[in-house]
Amino acid sequence: MASNKYTERGVINSLPYSGEQGTTTSLTFGDIRYRKSKHPYKDFQETQIYDLQEEPYRKSTKTVLGLPRRDARIIAGLMLLASIVRLYRISEPTSVVFDEVHFGGFASKYIKGRFFMDVHPPLAKLLITLAGVIGGFDGNFDFKEIGKDYLEPKVPYVTMRLMPGILGIFVIPISYLTIKLAGFSTISASLVATLLIFENGLVAQSRLILLDSPLILFTAFTVLMWVNFHNHYRRPFSFWWWFWMAMTGVGLGLTVSVKWVGLFTIALIGLSTIKGLWDLLGDLRISPEVWAKHFLARALCLILIPTVIYMFMFAIHFLILTNSGDGDGFMSSEFQQTIGGHGMDDTPIDIAYGSKITIRHLNTQGGYLHSHDHSYPGGSKQQQITLYPHKDENNLWIINNKTKPEIPFDEQDPIWIENGAIIRLEHITTNKRLHSHEVRPPVTDVDYQNEVSGYGFPGFEGDDNDFWRVEIFDHEKSDPKSGERLRTLHTKFRLVHVLTGCYLFSHSVKLPEWGFEQQEVTCVKGGSVPKTIWYIETNSHPTLPLDAETVNYRKLGFFGKFFELQRVMWTTNNGLTDSHPYESRPLSWLLMKRGISFWGQDHHHIYLIGNPIIWWSSTAALAIFVAIEIIILLRAKRGYLDHLNVTKEFYESHASFLFIGWFLHWFPFILMSRQLFLHHYFPALYFAILLFGVVFDFFTTPLSTRKRASVALIYLVMVLYVFRLFSPLTYGRPWIKSDCNSLKWISTWDFDCNQFYNSYDQFSIDADLKALKISPTGESSSLTVLNSPDSSEKSEAAETHAMQDDSNDALML
Amino acid sequence: MSQVRQRQGGDNKLKVGEKTIHEEKRKESKTPNEDEETKKKVVVSPGRDKQISNAVLFFLTVSSFITRFWNIGYPAEVVFDEVHFGKFASYYLQRTYYFDVHPPLAKLMFAGVGWLLGYDGHYLFENIGEDYIKNNVPYIGLRILPATLGALLVPIAYLIMIESGYPIITAAFAAGLVLFDNALITQTRLILLDAMLVFFMLCTLYSYIRFYKLRLREFTLDWWFWLVVTGVSLSLTTSVKMVGLFTFATIGVAVLVDLWELLDIQRGLTMRQFRRHFFARSIGLIFTPLAIYLFWFYLHFAILNTSGPGDDFMSPEFQETLHGNIMTFQSHDIRFNDTITIKHKDTSVFLHSHLDKYPLRYDDGRISSQGQQITGYPHEDSNNYWRVKPAIPFFDQERPENDVIKHGDYILLEHVNSLSHLLTHDVASPLMPTNQEFTTISVDDDSRYNETMFQVLIVNGEPDTKWRTKASHFRLVHYDTKVALWTHDAPLPDWAYKQQEVNGNKNNLEKSNYWFANEIIGKNVTEDVQPKKPTRELAFLRKFVELQRLMISHNSGLTKPHPYSTGPINWPFLVRGISFWTKDSTREQIYLLGNPFTWWIGVGALAVFVGVTAADAVSRRRGILPIIDPVRNRLYNSAGFFFIGWFFHYIPFFLMGRSLFLHHYLPAVICSYLLAAAVFNFMFVNSINYPISASATKKKITRVVLTAGVGVMTILFGIALLGIASVFYIFFAPLTYGTPGLDVSGVLNRKWLETWDFHFAK
Repeated sequence: MASNKYTERGVINSLPYSGEQGTTTSLTFGDIRYRKSKHPYKDFQETQIYDLQEEPYRKSTKTVLGLPRRDARIIAGLMLLASIVRLYRISEPTSVVFDEVHFGGFASKYIKGRFFMDVHPPLAKLLITLAGVIGGFDGNFDFKEIGKDYLEPKVPYVTMRLMPGILGIFVIPISYLTIKLAGFSTISASLVATLLIFENGLVAQSRLILLDSPLILFTAFTVLMWVNFHNHYRRPFSFWWWFWMAMTGVGLGLTVSVKWVGLFTIALIGLSTIKGLWDLLGDLRISPEVWAKHFLARALCLILIPTVIYMFMFAIHFLILTNSGDGDGFMSSEFQQTIGGHGMDDTPIDIAYGSKITIRHLNTQGGYLHSHDHSYPGGSKQQQITLYPHKDENNLWIINNKTKPEIPFDEQDPIWIENGAIIRLEHITTNKRLHSHEVRPPVTDVDYQNEVSGYGFPGFEGDDNDFWRVEIFDHEKSDPKSGERLRTLHTKFRLVHVLTGCYLFSHSVKLPEWGFEQQEVTCVKGGSVPKTIWYIETNSHPTLPLDAETVNYRKLGFFGKFFELQRVMWTTNNGLTDSHPYESRPLSWLLMKRGISFWGQDHHHIYLIGNPIIWWSSTAALAIFVAIEIIILLRAKRGYLDHLNVTKEFYESHASFLFIGWFLHWFPFILMSRQLFLHHYFPALYFAILLFGVVFDFFTTPLSTRKRASVALIYLVMVLYVFRLFSPLTYGRPWIKSDCNSLKWISTWDFDCNQFYNSYDQFSIDADLKALKISPTGESSSLTVLNSPDSSEKSEAAETHAMQDDSNDALML
Repeated sequence: MSQVRQRQGGDNKLKVGEKTIHEEKRKESKTPNEDEETKKKVVVSPGRDKQISNAVLFFLTVSSFITRFWNIGYPAEVVFDEVHFGKFASYYLQRTYYFDVHPPLAKLMFAGVGWLLGYDGHYLFENIGEDYIKNNVPYIGLRILPATLGALLVPIAYLIMIESGYPIITAAFAAGLVLFDNALITQTRLILLDAMLVFFMLCTLYSYIRFYKLRLREFTLDWWFWLVVTGVSLSLTTSVKMVGLFTFATIGVAVLVDLWELLDIQRGLTMRQFRRHFFARSIGLIFTPLAIYLFWFYLHFAILNTSGPGDDFMSPEFQETLHGNIMTFQSHDIRFNDTITIKHKDTSVFLHSHLDKYPLRYDDGRISSQGQQITGYPHEDSNNYWRVKPAIPFFDQERPENDVIKHGDYILLEHVNSLSHLLTHDVASPLMPTNQEFTTISVDDDSRYNETMFQVLIVNGEPDTKWRTKASHFRLVHYDTKVALWTHDAPLPDWAYKQQEVNGNKNNLEKSNYWFANEIIGKNVTEDVQPKKPTRELAFLRKFVELQRLMISHNSGLTKPHPYSTGPINWPFLVRGISFWTKDSTREQIYLLGNPFTWWIGVGALAVFVGVTAADAVSRRRGILPIIDPVRNRLYNSAGFFFIGWFFHYIPFFLMGRSLFLHHYLPAVICSYLLAAAVFNFMFVNSINYPISASATKKKITRVVLTAGVGVMTILFGIALLGIASVFYIFFAPLTYGTPGLDVSGVLNRKWLETWDFHFAK
């Protein structure tokens, strides 16, 4: 931004054009350096950039796989170190840890092909599934709760953990190259990579079956590609320019296919792109046509490619999940038609008295109006009426008119059911009629709701409480007839109980065990309109000709399914507002005030907590950067031309990119009301650590390489020491109470020291006992504290869905 | 030329690409276009201008009063939120304490008018539609206050535009849009706060513009005067509603931009001079407003000295400052061996226990102690009775058996019905693995005595503070594990009858740990009568901070959905209104709905402004200068200021969780009208009056560089637009004034959008 201030027309005009149309950026033009400096301007940035395509550079260095040999050696070393740190005893613990509950569970659902609903896009889960398949996992393990044993059912959990584990390792070389290719010193690059290796939080997170490791990898990958692209800024439309930009797009697509947090990465690259285009726009030597070309190239690579990748992942997702599963209930009936086991044959469209029909509730996914030969335990003690999600004989009803006795419908032409008709519904298998009266419903015991029951016995003609009036609420616009009379699928209607004026209603409140946990049906006065709307799904009538007009659900194509799933994911994600014992807010992440208890068993404990030294120094780097920026800004305003210092500007531009990256991956969380956890900070932490590297590089510029290396080394020793201190919590290794208590540097770190023994001897005794096949005796009471459902999105959507529905109820009433 | 002018001497350089508010000054030297511009016909001479302007102003003001005051006594019934604000005025007159989320100024003003009219505040405005005349309320007098302020919006809008250097037709256009806005009329002729809010907000804009025009006469008396007036109006705006903070943001941004320019080395100010500017603005725009804001609260507390419906919101200390408060005569000392009920402060449930046990295993597989359940229960019940017994290891034998309990004493709580002691231990609670389970243990079992001891810690307690019912909030901290008795709004499963979970909070300092003893069972109220205590005094600032905090938390807590609440995205497009009042017999209704023509002009102007500035930025980037500098500066500085005003009075609503209504958009809609006039000027008026800032010396110098060239067509066009606006206004007037009633076709004719849910449409 600083350069804009000096970009003014007069200056631009006064500059001699260099003649190389469209080959350089505008950044340098209008720069104060042009005006103030008597010497020919030399762009330091140009020479400092470590550019693999720079011909002279390439000739002068021996390379391995396109990398200078020294870098290749360092990278190899770092990767070896990272593999040791990240994969150390990856088979421990041998039971389900934290959110492995979900992501392991999803893998088994993929293998079984059972449709499920999750708030995250599929890529990472597909990768985990792939690992499971490679390891020979058959999907017969449900990952139901934290602490469930892996060994007994022979789950290939190690292979599955290796997938995020190995992906996590690749973050290390990527971070090294990012810093290096951005033009900073080898020492800073190595420092950053080493910090990432010894960040306890990242280690703990990446060695379990969780999504964050792929997420961070793809974010890091995207940033590296973008840095590469920028190194080709001066050679637009060259092969490598295209290549790196396309790879950035691929990175974006992969990131956002893991978690929606990837949208923040898209925002970062988007902002940077806009800035770049704005700079190009100011370069008067670039014609509008060329600028349009620039624009389209970016749209192609950075919008189209990610979108295609993202959709492709969902295409695979739909391809695999062909069977009915526990996610069906979240989707619309149209969507469900595409899932195995939910298909429906065409059904006659015309409804007449005497039609045998099934009726579905529109607003909840509770299913069909249902009754069965069981009675309410309380209230009127009459037969239960519920919503039942599956196809069943007990969902069938006959529409009768109000006359007694009923007209013999099978002997005369069908009589259509117009809007306002008064009908009775008879349950076919039990011969009871749909009935309502001034009795409070079994669960929702409130004044404005009445019970709905099945009532009647042989020889009894029914009473006036069996009468319901049809009120057509909405209809398919392409079928005007369905607005006047009932037609299958096309007519959305409400049923008014004639005597009390209440509407047949259902909401996602489940009946207790005596009602088989089916959904409650009541009759409501003045309730929320959407929950009183019903439609007819299937229909048959004795006198309708065989060739009568039929109807079926609209066929959903890929895009229909895709967009519907996105919408459901979004609402579910926003609905995750339950409080969780280990949730934390974004502001507390900066200082790492609290971690997450992942797992605890047999006096071992895994607690997600970062390496405090790394964490706090990265936050300090952010603060230092902001302070420096403000000071520079104020000084510039007062006429001190700090900007003449090109090195400073170089640092500033890179640091501000990383800072904005951090900001975009952190700040939006503040605006979110859903439950948040420390691990949501990891992508932002990655940027903060890179920024730390840049700030380190900046402050140690005056030092000799040797001194610089020793400063880095001293710092690393501290980091390593602290890493070692906290490693028992990271790996779930044996530890003792006193060591644990001495590490409670902040009172809000709530890892549970009471779990540990007082001395290490106890562990060896345990081991001996285990060898003798005697289970160690634990103090049960303290154990119960930790064998808790610590999962972040536990019971996932199902519950939140129900909650949302309820709050809606309250809203409308 | 003065020093200031000289300081500007070397600063004739163009500065493109950044917003230059101070540009105008420099342009006093000849601009390239100047000759050409001045040659343009000047329609009226400056002297006559003034007369015409005054005439127009007079005409607009009179029309404004007519539109606002027409039939102001109708309906003679309580309309919409008059329920609240009328009631609050009554409370002031009765001096009974009430609680509201809005600051007191506007309500004090109503009370003041009521007092002048001799109204005694006997009527409480309980329901919409209640008759005023029957209840003998001087409602017309009360309504005259907002109607007057509402009528004055028109002349202020006019003056804002004139002061900003626009020609008469532009100013009249802005004022006309305000004049014919049905929503502003509806909202300002009833006993509601928005008239005051918008009035003070416009005063702020007006005085800031006056202040800014004097910027070359820094630190003169005039300069100081308008600076302080800006601060005062800001403060009055905020004292009406917290929305005033958005006005603060608007002025704040303008001031920051201004200061940023002053800081520029090229302006030639020394740091000392800059500091002077800085401190002058802090005095004018921060300290003055703060003092005034506090003053209204001082008045608020001074007037409301009697116990009333707002008591329950406040802390016991606060309540004791009110005459006739329950604390002063229903609060008793609690003694050992008294039986009490204990209520949680935040969730108002009693500490409860019953004979059922915790289940052996919870759904998630964790195991409980299987002890007796402790829950929170909202109703009176004998299972809420707890006897307070001294904890023997800490009990000083010297004290009598039934000594009063003081802050810091250790006690045991015996559940009277089950003869067991309250206990907590290191077992996870049913719902929260991080918190401790509470249960009970039989009184005969002394084996776990340590786990049954609790310390009573009274909030703000000293060692000799007595523990009293109702008046003392306290935390109950466990002796053994230091957790505090806590409960939260989460029901346990069926096995505990969906009662609220109670558990031990490890963070024992949290405010949600506060409980109070509700009553002493069996203690006759007349017994133990204490001499009537003098009502307590509390420092003003403490009261203020307490009330302020409550206002903010309750404001964000107003999430209860309302049938007519709407999301901010709907407002500029006028998607839906609010039904204020209906009368079935005559088919009359008041429906808050803006004049669609003027609202949509407002939105259109916003779009044009954004489009023009974006196009200007892009073309400048390409080295093309499509707009001459004086006009461009006016567009950025003046229209930009109005745009910022609109932005800050609108966008923050998107971040609010509370339920919102169309009338929250009224401050923003006025800004959009000002902007619309500026855009009108940009599109149809040739150039602008320029420069408009006062010169640095008092000496009169002819320094008009540009005068707006207003063509006849422009005037006709402006008047035509206002004519259309007036037709729309009259068309919708029955809904605005609530009379006359409309038949079905009349209602349907006006129902242009499906979402305008008028009554009597069937």
